[in-house]
Amino acid sequence: MTVLVPLRLSHFQCFLLFALIISLAFGTLGRRQPLERLKYATWSFAMFVVVGIALAWLMYPFSR
Amino acid sequence: MLDNTTATNTNDDSGDPKIAMHETHQPELHVGHTSSFEVRAVAIAILGWILPGLGHALLKMWGRAVTVCLTVAFLVYLGAGMRGNLFAPGGEDAFARLGYAADLGTGSFYYLARALEVTGPDVSHADGDYGTRFLATAGVLNLLAALHAYEAARRRKA
Repeated sequence: MTVLVPLRLSHFQCFLLFALIISLAFGTLGRRQPLERLKYATWSFAMFVVVGIALAWLMYPFSR
Repeated sequence: MLDNTTATNTNDDSGDPKIAMHETHQPELHVGHTSSFEVRAVAIAILGWILPGLGHALLKMWGRAVTVCLTVAFLVYLGAGMRGNLFAPGGEDAFARLGYAADLGTGSFYYLARALEVTGPDVSHADGDYGTRFLATAGVLNLLAALHAYEAARRRKA
């Protein structure tokens, strides 16, 4: 018996989840004050999403 | 470490032997103090690597300790749940060896992931491929946190 729940997520869901978790960690490690942490985490998340989508569109012509 | 003040004092010609002896021994005390700080900082970094968040917990940085521990644990759990590839030692190519180094960055959680992923990896889907990245990211993030704890233990800006 295992405690592991099998996950079936789409590419985009994985991408958002990854960006969210890493942004929260970056915010906590990178800044000291709660408000600064929130701002930095939000900024990191936005950058992850924007740059990720931009790179995906750049690579799209080579995907087929 | 020697600083300018100490260097000036060793050249003091006031003639008082007590002052001269005291000021001559000052650099040795300073060096010993710095060395013990360094050993403590390295020990904190290693402990932080073995158990994610422990380095910050020892420095009483509770918020960061909890965040590091939960983040690494969550990434490992998700990575294993997505059936990502957890690299084993003795990889055939550089990519496998690099992947193993990244996975090993999770410290004791590497064995947790190995215990959780009983059915083995499945990278034929996007989530399986992402799972591999989640596991590697957990390791790299934990190494980053251990380095952060090391810098904080050395009283540098962290």
